[in-house]
Amino acid sequence: MPLGLASPRPRSAPSPSLRPRLAAVGEQSALSVNMEEDAFLEEKAFQHYCAEFLKHSQQIGDGWEWKASKDSSDGYLCKTHFQAKATARSLPGASTEEGETWFPMEEALEVPSDDSEVPMTAAATEVVRYEYHVLYSCSHQVPVLYFRASFADGRPLALQDIWDGVHECYQARLRQGPWDTITQQEHPVLGQPFFVLHPCKTTEFMTPVLKNSQKINRNVNYIAAWLSVVGPVVGLTLPLSYAKVPSQDE
Amino acid sequence: MTDDKDVLRDVWFGRIPTCFTLYQDEITEREAEPYYLLLPRVSYLTLVTDKVKKHFQKVMRQEDISEIWFEYEGTPLKWHYPIGLLFDLLASSSALPWNIIVHFKSFPEKDLLHCPSKDAIEAHFMSCVKEADALKHKSQVINEMQKKDHKQLWMGLQNDRFDQFWAINRKLMEYPAEENGFRYIPFRIYQTTTERPFIQKLFRPVAADGQLQTLGDLLREVCPSVMAPEDGERKNQVMIHGIEPMLETPLQWLSEHLSYPDNFLHISIIPQPTD
Repeated sequence: MPLGLASPRPRSAPSPSLRPRLAAVGEQSALSVNMEEDAFLEEKAFQHYCAEFLKHSQQIGDGWEWKASKDSSDGYLCKTHFQAKATARSLPGASTEEGETWFPMEEALEVPSDDSEVPMTAAATEVVRYEYHVLYSCSHQVPVLYFRASFADGRPLALQDIWDGVHECYQARLRQGPWDTITQQEHPVLGQPFFVLHPCKTTEFMTPVLKNSQKINRNVNYIAAWLSVVGPVVGLTLPLSYAKVPSQDE
Repeated sequence: MTDDKDVLRDVWFGRIPTCFTLYQDEITEREAEPYYLLLPRVSYLTLVTDKVKKHFQKVMRQEDISEIWFEYEGTPLKWHYPIGLLFDLLASSSALPWNIIVHFKSFPEKDLLHCPSKDAIEAHFMSCVKEADALKHKSQVINEMQKKDHKQLWMGLQNDRFDQFWAINRKLMEYPAEENGFRYIPFRIYQTTTERPFIQKLFRPVAADGQLQTLGDLLREVCPSVMAPEDGERKNQVMIHGIEPMLETPLQWLSEHLSYPDNFLHISIIPQPTD
């Protein structure tokens, strides 16, 4: 299926001209991969990758759904899941922030066998409902991850809660530019407040992934690849079997 | 052309006379007088209402005050929409001044984005500017600018400095000599009757045959119900900055002259007023 490799203007050219769109991935002979070019995702390709992604999700019971727009041909992927937040309280006066860890629901119910791993004396858990939506941005020509989160009593999480909840290994990047990374925005279809992971850098990190897959002649599902990179930043993980999702009908 | 430059100034300096009244259920220590203000059409509510906030907080106790929010005739006002857009879409057929109710309690979480600081407004504004340039120039122009240029756009808007703003913004309005316009036009079409908050699609300002596309062409393509019936009486007004541009106006010209500071054309479709 066409990856929709567009041919953008090279960044350094003073007077760029429109060049014709390149051929599809898989048509190896037609493609001369210019390392300067970015891989943009066209809307039809987005919808196709979502369909393939969805099939796999259904096979493994991963809970993703497609919501079609009533008034137009577009739509989005969506999934809801629950996470339990365990709050560790050890010594009085100790900071609780260090002890807070997010577990997917199944893990929260397991008792750790090695007590020295989890320094808890008393544990409280709060369940948070996460709703993730994958939409297509025609402006940036990339998928965008929208999400919202609320406690069991319906109270929504605030932006600061979300920032605090971002995994350790992404905190440095977040602190560099929190307002460039995760902010609250209006969902373009529902019109309601959601949090969004900014799409600005998507093309930057997706291009090498796609170019590499071309080189080794393996088709990659753009959505699975993209989500496996951005999802973990906001608590969404993909089972490894998604790596095998084909990007064209076999 | 001097005429066209005047349009830029007229758009920038557009104002809406507004009367802010405190919501009747807010708890006050003494009566709160309404507050009158001329709101800049091209700015954002939370950016220009510090005086409104101070005025009402003077008669309230600290513990009764949380995040401010605004409402018009029962509809919470989205601070992240430009003021002129909100007015045209919701209140243009009513008599002036625009009557807005001010709230300090019960923030409508499901309807409104929080506005925790001026940084949030700046982030939102810059995100729109970047999105517009992604459409116009594949982000080439905005990415080539330095951080201080981005800051200048924001400061120009925040401080109502037309020249400061346009010194940078003019670069976002340029296009290569061999083209006849931008790659795609940044626009959003709003109607209160739809569930979807706005329509935004890819649309080229120049057709395959080299003809400049018009406002009418855009509407026929992305919002055909607005134009129907073609020869009958139009049921709707198509409004930008409080005026109804002729449908024959080239979209490229509209984009260069009637965009908001975020570089988007925010177009309201409203029912014809009955008078």
